[in-house]
Amino acid sequence: MTNTTGSSQGPALEQEGPIKKFFRATEIDTRILGMIVALVLVWCIFDIWSGIIRPNEGLFGGSFLTPRNLWTLLVQTSSIAVMSTGMVLLIVLRQIDLSVGSMLSLVAVATGVLQVYQLAPALGVGHPAIWILGVLMCLGVGTLIGAFNGFLTAYAKIPAFIVTLGGLIAYSGVAFLLAKGETVAPMDQNFGVFGGGIERSWLGPFWSWLIAIIACAAIIYAIVNGRRQRQRFGFPLRPVWAEVFLATVGSIVMLGTTLVMNSYAWPPKLIENFAKANSIVIPAGIENKDGKAICMAADSIVRCTEGFILYTGYSLPALIAIGVCLVMTFVATRTSFGRYVYATGGNPEAAELAGINTKWLTVKVFALMGFLVGVSSIISSARLNAATNALGQTNELYVIAATVIGGTSLAGGVGTIYGAMIGALMMQSIISGMSLLNLAAAYQNMVVGGVLVLAVYLDQLYRRNVK
Amino acid sequence: MAKTPAKKTIAAKNVSKPVATETHETPLAVTGSQTFRKTRAQPEGIPLIEMKEISIAFGGIKAVDHASINLFPGEVVGLLGHNGAGKSTLIKVLSGAYKRDAGSIHVEGKEVTINNPRDAKAQGIETIYQTLALADNVDAAANLYLGRELKTKMGTLDDVAMEAECRKVMHRLNPNFRRFKEPVMKLSGGQRQSVAIARAIHFNARILIMDEPTAALGPQETAQVGELIKQLKAEGIGIFLISHDLHDVFDLADRLVVMKNGKVVGTASTKDVDHDEVLGMIIAGKCPSGAIPGPGAMRN
Amino acid sequence: MKKTIIAMMAAGLALGAASMPVMAAGKTIAVSWKTFQEERWKTDAAAIKAVVEAAGDKYIDSDAQGSAQKQAADIEGLIAQKPDVIMVVAFDSDAILPSIQKISDAGIKSIAYDVQFEDPNALYITFDNVGVGRIMAKEVLKVKPEGNYAFIKGDKGDPNATFLFQGQMEVLKAALDGGKIKNVCETFTDGWKPDNAQKNMEQCLTSTGNKVDAVLSENDGMASGVVAALTAQGMAGIPVSGQDGDLAAINRVALGTQTVSVWKNSVELGKTAAAAAIALADGTAMDKIAGVAKFNGGKKKVEMNSILLAPTPITIANVGDAIAAGHITKDQACAGVKAGTVDACK
Repeated sequence: MTNTTGSSQGPALEQEGPIKKFFRATEIDTRILGMIVALVLVWCIFDIWSGIIRPNEGLFGGSFLTPRNLWTLLVQTSSIAVMSTGMVLLIVLRQIDLSVGSMLSLVAVATGVLQVYQLAPALGVGHPAIWILGVLMCLGVGTLIGAFNGFLTAYAKIPAFIVTLGGLIAYSGVAFLLAKGETVAPMDQNFGVFGGGIERSWLGPFWSWLIAIIACAAIIYAIVNGRRQRQRFGFPLRPVWAEVFLATVGSIVMLGTTLVMNSYAWPPKLIENFAKANSIVIPAGIENKDGKAICMAADSIVRCTEGFILYTGYSLPALIAIGVCLVMTFVATRTSFGRYVYATGGNPEAAELAGINTKWLTVKVFALMGFLVGVSSIISSARLNAATNALGQTNELYVIAATVIGGTSLAGGVGTIYGAMIGALMMQSIISGMSLLNLAAAYQNMVVGGVLVLAVYLDQLYRRNVK
Repeated sequence: MAKTPAKKTIAAKNVSKPVATETHETPLAVTGSQTFRKTRAQPEGIPLIEMKEISIAFGGIKAVDHASINLFPGEVVGLLGHNGAGKSTLIKVLSGAYKRDAGSIHVEGKEVTINNPRDAKAQGIETIYQTLALADNVDAAANLYLGRELKTKMGTLDDVAMEAECRKVMHRLNPNFRRFKEPVMKLSGGQRQSVAIARAIHFNARILIMDEPTAALGPQETAQVGELIKQLKAEGIGIFLISHDLHDVFDLADRLVVMKNGKVVGTASTKDVDHDEVLGMIIAGKCPSGAIPGPGAMRN
Repeated sequence: MKKTIIAMMAAGLALGAASMPVMAAGKTIAVSWKTFQEERWKTDAAAIKAVVEAAGDKYIDSDAQGSAQKQAADIEGLIAQKPDVIMVVAFDSDAILPSIQKISDAGIKSIAYDVQFEDPNALYITFDNVGVGRIMAKEVLKVKPEGNYAFIKGDKGDPNATFLFQGQMEVLKAALDGGKIKNVCETFTDGWKPDNAQKNMEQCLTSTGNKVDAVLSENDGMASGVVAALTAQGMAGIPVSGQDGDLAAINRVALGTQTVSVWKNSVELGKTAAAAAIALADGTAMDKIAGVAKFNGGKKKVEMNSILLAPTPITIANVGDAIAAGHITKDQACAGVKAGTVDACK
């Protein structure tokens, strides 16, 4: 790396092996690839292990690599994943928000109180304005609290660690007072759509496939367009095989995920309710207690292998999380806002001298974090169908852990959105997997903590070797 | 010092090619006043930049104390002084990095407001900082356009266009540069310097501030910077050159201003003073006869 | 039994009056609270104050704000005001003992309110905590005498989580041993958090392929998570337990998604304690007070006089009583309940 730039490209090409050439041509982030491999490995281990305890229909005979568990995993990860995308930008900016967990409880309780105690009695249970106002309340209150944190940090010059540590303690107090320590429930039934726990929040195979196909088209368009742009200016291009490879892998991942989501059947009881509600004629069949479909056998509805069946497809919270990931990646890499966040994190003084209003930028990033906490509070409270001041507590630890496992450096300037998403998925996989194995929460915490430290250690090793 | 031979070549060129100041020569005027008079050290016309009676204090310590300097189109003014003499601070007031406590700034005779770097850039004042002030974690094009990115019709960053422009400007400054996709922290000192210079000259600056531009450079690169300064001068750009190095200043500047303890010791044409006299100004605050004394000059 | 207690709590002040036929006015009852940070202690305080003042006695109190040191100083301050009885809600049940000794030395009677400290001279008044677990199990077993049971326990670090589980096991032991019911999942829940309980329940359903017939959740908050997980599988309606008498839980009981919420009515606890305190102040011997029995279930097995109140199970059969007692409004309890399914919601 120390030789002059002019000569570093030509001859080196000849010398590098096929693997190195492959990674250079495709520009794949080997760090992220390593994480994905680790994630898949963890999944396989859990599937095999859970299969030894209780055989099931997973890929390796366990309970982990089943459509059902993977589907649930995505829902369980969604709240933390959404928040971790905002935390990436904050940590990149050399700030931190320790108050996201308490903010989540405060926002969730606020919307709960609004829906259950104010709007439902005033407008009548199930009025469509309830969920709309509930959602706006979450997003609005979240953004405001975030902006307040940012204002104290940027303009009052109190370190973010202190501002948000204070927030961590104070906001949970506010949440407690708002709810008077009680569980506020049940949430509005339309609001529940965002939680993934009811039929209406499942997209079904048709829309899921449609989204997958659009996503594949977008991947191919992005690759083709990028290539055309570089051609326009006569820049060096990636080899065609590398472009085709990337487009293929991207599409396969997208279609594969969709296939898994679309092979998780509705719980039989719900299929039955649906059939009854829509007067669907249920085909006759032979009873099979482990079947996922329903049939008519001797005038009663039974579970069977081949009969009437419905598939869930993507759940709304998972789709929101994926959507947030895409939007935030776009914000981080394609907008001047994102560019300023990274530049300021890399060298705050330089950014200031380049004319960036770093104080206002700080407020904006904190407000964005607050907005995302609002999104997460919608998912969490809708999913639990209740709001309590316990909801979200200690989430800040998981959000920061996901961000750091995902390769964001606490020194600032470095971090990716998709890394944090994978970090969140990794953490939730460990928690869910160990829970499947009936291992106590104490062990889950031990392992997650260990993984966090190990991930940072490996990350440092990697960075040192790359340099 | 490996630098010296390279400097000599620049000096030699300088001699063979007379520079613009000579046309501005005027008779010496009465000295002793605190404001600038028409002197040999003072070109004619409306100055491009005039900073009048600038003061700024940090925690009670006056870093700059009623300092006045000016700069004409196509002119290079060297700012000299010890560490802590106030030259970098004065110049940071001009670039908008610091907010002055008192005094005024005039661009082409009109008073302007400069409260932050954006204001300065709006006046066409660009700065190459001693620290380079690069965001180390992003690439050359991102640094080049930091704060004034090119956008597509959709309002998103037009990275490809920025890279294309970056390739053009870098080709002019450093033809061997190829590492457009790497964060600037991975570049060599000279390459980083090129990026900082590229950023300052790319946006049609009228006034350029160079704070120790050659401090991190080898002899060859230093010579390149010297050539560049002459080129920019010829284009009518005014340049403030801050340096520790007397050779640099005598080689490149038309005039020099010496500061000590936040005050201006004196201003002189580089033709009218010699090294020793300038050293006397820097160290003792003694103003020689060839220079116009400022408020910081030692009283005899 | 259940009915009696409901009647008692509905009757309110009458309890204090009925159990204390002879009352001499002008006594002073003092209370040292460990904290007012949690909402419930204010409820207790209001109940005690009401009974004491209705009897023509004086009520004084102090708030230790969650500090053992402050509580020791508080008690010295209360002793100086020469009350007849001091009730103590101990912040630290061991560190409080020297202060209790001082109370006795000053010739003042002491009551351990809700939190036990082991001093043989004090009267211990609380709810029967092991009983809560027993009631949960009993109510669920009544609805589902056989099948697969899941146990969603509280935080591992809280001894109550284990006590509750012990109580449940006492009731379920025979059925478990006889193979009628099967323990298919058993997990502690970090921090008693509802969202953790939801995840644990989801994983339990995933690993068992939904073959769960009843869930023993150790409180109402976690029950909300359990019910959310069950709803997603179309299984809401199977027996689920809880405790605390959360308003949302009572609503779930009315909706039929939760079987029982065991309720420790702190108003009732306060009234009972106040009545006992007045009796002590009037010179009644500790073991002659109504409901007093010997208790030695503490850490050090010290035998104490105690009153253990039975908690109230709220089930679909007596939701109306909770409404009648003013604990919850009819609208809150019956929100979303289909007309005609629950008597109390008519």
